[in-house]
Amino acid sequence: MLGLTALFWSTRQPAPSGRLEQGAQAPLPRGGTLVASLRTEPRSFNRLVSRDVATEIVTLLTQARLVRVNRATQQVEPWLAETWTTSPDGQVFTLTLREGLQWSDGAPFTSADVAFTFKAIFDPTTKSVLASGLEVDGQPLTTATPDAHTVVVTYPRPFGPGIRLLDNVVILPRHKLEAAVASGTLSDAWTPTTPPADIVGMGPFVLTRYEPGQRLTFARNPRYWRRDAAGQALPYLDGLVLAIVPNADAELLGLRSGQIDMTQQQLRAEDIATARDLERKGLVTVQEAGVTLDPDVFFFNLRPAAWAKDPRGTWLLTDAFRQAISHAVDREAYANTVYLGAAVPVHGPITPGNKDWFWPDLPRYPFDQAKARALLAGLGLTNRDADPWLEDAAGTEARFTLLAFRSLDRGAQVLKESLEAVGVAVDVVTLETGALIERMVTGRFETIFFNYVSSDTDPAMQRDLWLSSGSGHIWNISQPTPATPWEAQIDDLITRQAASIDQAERVRLFREVQRIFSEHLPALYFAAPRVYLAVSTRVRNATPGVSRPQLIWSADTLAVAPAAALR
Amino acid sequence: MTLTRFVVRRAAGGLVFALVVASLTLLIARLAPGDATTGEAIAMTVEQRAALRADLGLDQPLLTQYGRWLVGLTRFDLGRSSLFKRPVADLVGERALNTALLAVVALVVASLVGIPLGRYTGASHAMLARAVGAASVAVLSLPPLLSALLLVLVAAHTGWLPAGGMTSGGLSGAAWLADLAWHLPVPVLALALPLAATLERVQSRAMAEAIGRPFVDASRARGLTRERTLRVHAWPASLAPVLGIYGVLVGAIFSGSFVVEVVTSWPGLGRLLFDALLARDVWLVAGCGAAGAASLAVATTMADVVHATLDPRLLERRG
Repeated sequence: MLGLTALFWSTRQPAPSGRLEQGAQAPLPRGGTLVASLRTEPRSFNRLVSRDVATEIVTLLTQARLVRVNRATQQVEPWLAETWTTSPDGQVFTLTLREGLQWSDGAPFTSADVAFTFKAIFDPTTKSVLASGLEVDGQPLTTATPDAHTVVVTYPRPFGPGIRLLDNVVILPRHKLEAAVASGTLSDAWTPTTPPADIVGMGPFVLTRYEPGQRLTFARNPRYWRRDAAGQALPYLDGLVLAIVPNADAELLGLRSGQIDMTQQQLRAEDIATARDLERKGLVTVQEAGVTLDPDVFFFNLRPAAWAKDPRGTWLLTDAFRQAISHAVDREAYANTVYLGAAVPVHGPITPGNKDWFWPDLPRYPFDQAKARALLAGLGLTNRDADPWLEDAAGTEARFTLLAFRSLDRGAQVLKESLEAVGVAVDVVTLETGALIERMVTGRFETIFFNYVSSDTDPAMQRDLWLSSGSGHIWNISQPTPATPWEAQIDDLITRQAASIDQAERVRLFREVQRIFSEHLPALYFAAPRVYLAVSTRVRNATPGVSRPQLIWSADTLAVAPAAALR
Repeated sequence: MTLTRFVVRRAAGGLVFALVVASLTLLIARLAPGDATTGEAIAMTVEQRAALRADLGLDQPLLTQYGRWLVGLTRFDLGRSSLFKRPVADLVGERALNTALLAVVALVVASLVGIPLGRYTGASHAMLARAVGAASVAVLSLPPLLSALLLVLVAAHTGWLPAGGMTSGGLSGAAWLADLAWHLPVPVLALALPLAATLERVQSRAMAEAIGRPFVDASRARGLTRERTLRVHAWPASLAPVLGIYGVLVGAIFSGSFVVEVVTSWPGLGRLLFDALLARDVWLVAGCGAAGAASLAVATTMADVVHATLDPRLLERRG
């Protein structure tokens, strides 16, 4: 039955020619230029070879994909592919491309461009950063193009996220880059020094100017294919500027002075009050997108070798010790102190912001200092001297070093105070990002307080975090074989979950993963901030999402009010 | 020693200085934990990271990397930035011009404000002179970070000036120039205020010393007015120590521009160095270090040449 459903299933269809469904509302103004901030400069204009945030944002503006994950709904939408069907085994996707589409230079878009893009991604000379993400069990996706408007994508094995994976594939123009792929120089194509006119895409905008250190200027792509419900060609904006603003303070000042209309990412907790003040003055509107997907995470170094000669390893590596810590932290107070109330308590890595995968019934560790002390006492940790710290039978103090991002020092401080209240001493050391990541990946740490940016809401797309062999398995990275039985169990469940195309089964398997995770607590989560975004009052139709980039992802439907309308 | 020989010696010294500074910044950047692959390490397997390190030449011993970089220097090749995937020389060239613009304007403003004020306070005991002196001391204690933040806040709250950036974009010709001038006051004042205060204090002290010297009394005895004596005799004599600190001031400008550029979003060498340090882009760090040191060497040489021209005894002393 499920197989038959899959066979005839196709996506929710948009109106013909990619028209937006739009409720009864005032027509949006056309024209004008919007200025958004960008924290860093793009390393490349070629998404195949660079994964930095700025390159991703430029790509969102200038290029297009076969399907798109809507950042507000977190669901897959048709994009260059108008419809698709899935084979019963979930391995073959037959996509029908929209007809009559053109690249920004007027060249026709066909399935050959899609085949070329896949070839470029998997060409070893490209060294594409997308290649490994487009493999299932180490095998690449394959494509066939029976005609100019049909693409057949075959997965080597059934893969739960299915077509969602194709949101990562930025389609490149064969007619512009074929020579570079043939000569093995695609990795050097479309650099920041490439003349903007040479960068051709199917996104809503075309790059017209890059002024290093200052801004990227985009103009409307006159050949963009999308239209609104009234049949008006998108984007609404004549132009868009990404102003390079190096930090959050400068962004907020830019909003205040009217130099920028929206920020690249969410407001910091300490800036929300300022933004609310600007809102009262009519300068900005503050919008809430929901709860973040990326809560701060606290984890121990669970590499057994790291503690082999350390007497603390006998109790520090136990589940009970981490469970005691979880009980020792008052998550409500943590959310109020660290995020000034703009956060919700969480008990695992999947937050309420993740609409499809959040499990509200996840086992919890309520705030209970007595229980925390009892768990620690069960490990032989009691106060044996005059100082306030617990010691084990050999006299070793219950103490560890916590490395924290500089931006997370408030959270680290609350954590330290919470643990000190149950007799565990914490020495907090704040580090800048590079130094902390290096310590993490090389295993030279005791504990880390960190923020992990997830790439997708679907757990099968985050296998790097869940699988013991993954590079994002932060508490014990890239294990040749699972170090513990429960990690082996999670490996098995995640592998089965990723291979299943039955959504109910996938949810069941992932809840089991979360249950095991919650029992062993390799990483602890305390609160997830709400995502607040400040946009200028002249911006219309902003659709914030919790995934990054939270606002600019829907650039084709953003509009700005004409100056006269604001007077 | 002739002036030409003096200039040649200083230029050679400047080159060595730039090389030493660049080498030291390279070494310090290499000693920091992590490398250019660290930022993406969590998204890569161990093998992928090793391959990327090999691609960037980071798997080679430090001495080998340094040797290659030195060989490249002989061809004016400062290496390739791993952050921007572009030649370091191009990046440094682009940004050094922006920093130079900021530095030159700040130096001119500081000189135009600081020297006349110092000349006045050094020659006067009026209440106003004492107030100016006290204000200079107060400004001197204000680090560029604080002055930049204060000025940016004032600009953002009042809307009188742009709160950041170098230009507004989309402009050309005279409109671009006017827009550039409109963006200059905040970063220039942040840099120039402490320099102007320094110049005022040095000039004031030098002027006071010059006034007390016998030739000033002699000129007064010859019947020159006080004002003419100060202008023709005392002030020129007081300029030597002021010129002597210009080299130091250029160094202060470059260190000050590091924070001012970040706070005011000015696309200069300081911000580039900041980005390069965070990304562990060692060649770019070294390139920025070399550019800063070379600018400092050129500026101190120029200051010394002017100093030597005004006071030839300097050449004699240096043999």
